[in-house]
Amino acid sequence: MDSSSAPQEFDYLFKLLMIGDSGVGKSSLLLSFTSDEFQDMSPTIGVDFKVKYVAIGGKKLKLAIWDTAGQERFRTLTSSYYRGAQGIIMVYDVTRRDTFTNLSEIWAKEIDLYSTNQDCIKMLVGNKVDKESDRVVSKKEGIDFAREYGCLFIECSAKTRVNVQQCFEELVLKILDTPSLLAEGSKGVKKNIFKDKQPQADASTSSCC
Amino acid sequence: MAKLEAKLGMIVDSVGQFFSGKDQLPWCDSDIIAGCEREVAEAGKQSSDELLKECLLRLSWALVHSKRPQDVQRGIAMLEESLPGTDDPVQQREKLYLLAIGHYRSGDYSRSRDLVERCLMIAPDWRQAVTLKKTIEDKITKDGVIGLGIAATAAGLIAGGIAAAVSRRR
Repeated sequence: MDSSSAPQEFDYLFKLLMIGDSGVGKSSLLLSFTSDEFQDMSPTIGVDFKVKYVAIGGKKLKLAIWDTAGQERFRTLTSSYYRGAQGIIMVYDVTRRDTFTNLSEIWAKEIDLYSTNQDCIKMLVGNKVDKESDRVVSKKEGIDFAREYGCLFIECSAKTRVNVQQCFEELVLKILDTPSLLAEGSKGVKKNIFKDKQPQADASTSSCC
Repeated sequence: MAKLEAKLGMIVDSVGQFFSGKDQLPWCDSDIIAGCEREVAEAGKQSSDELLKECLLRLSWALVHSKRPQDVQRGIAMLEESLPGTDDPVQQREKLYLLAIGHYRSGDYSRSRDLVERCLMIAPDWRQAVTLKKTIEDKITKDGVIGLGIAATAAGLIAGGIAAAVSRRR
């Protein structure tokens, strides 16, 4: 996967949203994806966002990734940012049972209430697999939840960066596979004066697994 | 040839991005602000002080992230008013951060930088504050470059004027 955060041209623009309990590692996951870094973080205030340019499935994409505060006191604020998202990433911490149970108690309900996009792709992410000895939520439980709620599923670690790229890549591939979402994504594409004369060879830079 | 054009396209894009000043800070719509206003009004009717404080913080978040300058100013005023009465260090730095956002959005970059530096004194590795500081500094550099450009253009015009005057005399 070719990627960069420097501005460049793109074929589609997708809005992705990250939700889940406070402290499960949403911001760490995003940072790990956008800048190859990992650090311990203070809780997010309100909403934060990052832009990342990637080449996935032979397409050049601009991803606008919205990272919401997990703390309850910001919930009425963060709920406003669900609209228009083509992909929603639900994150839990495999070492904290409550963050997993809150997915059905809180987060899935939030999606039903606030997501405006019927076809929006959901992805369940179990983070912190680097702390294997502290794990309390099994992989099978994650798989079962994903099956019940119709989501994609992956386990990853923002710290070791295991499966971090794959997480975003799988979500985006599924969005690219969904015609209605693809149509939405192309609406946001800006005009490029040199676009018509782009060399075809440049389209083959992606390396998908 | 095609490669050169692609390169040119990238340069045009990045120069465009450089001058359009797109930063990675969220925006807030007026309906979100209206929602926060309603919550504050609701909370005002109840007796819980804590709840009202939370609602007010959300409202100030929404105001300083607004696209309308008058909202940003109102957010700044609200935060400045409530800051002296805030003892809790977490709430304090949150308000400082939001104030920094407000001043950044209203174009007072040096004030914004002072505030974000105060946040970083309280929490040195606070990611959102670090990002904001970098955004402010980029903006200051950018404005410096634009200022230089204007000065250079002005100097060029004057030099051209003199040259024209001299050649006319001859």
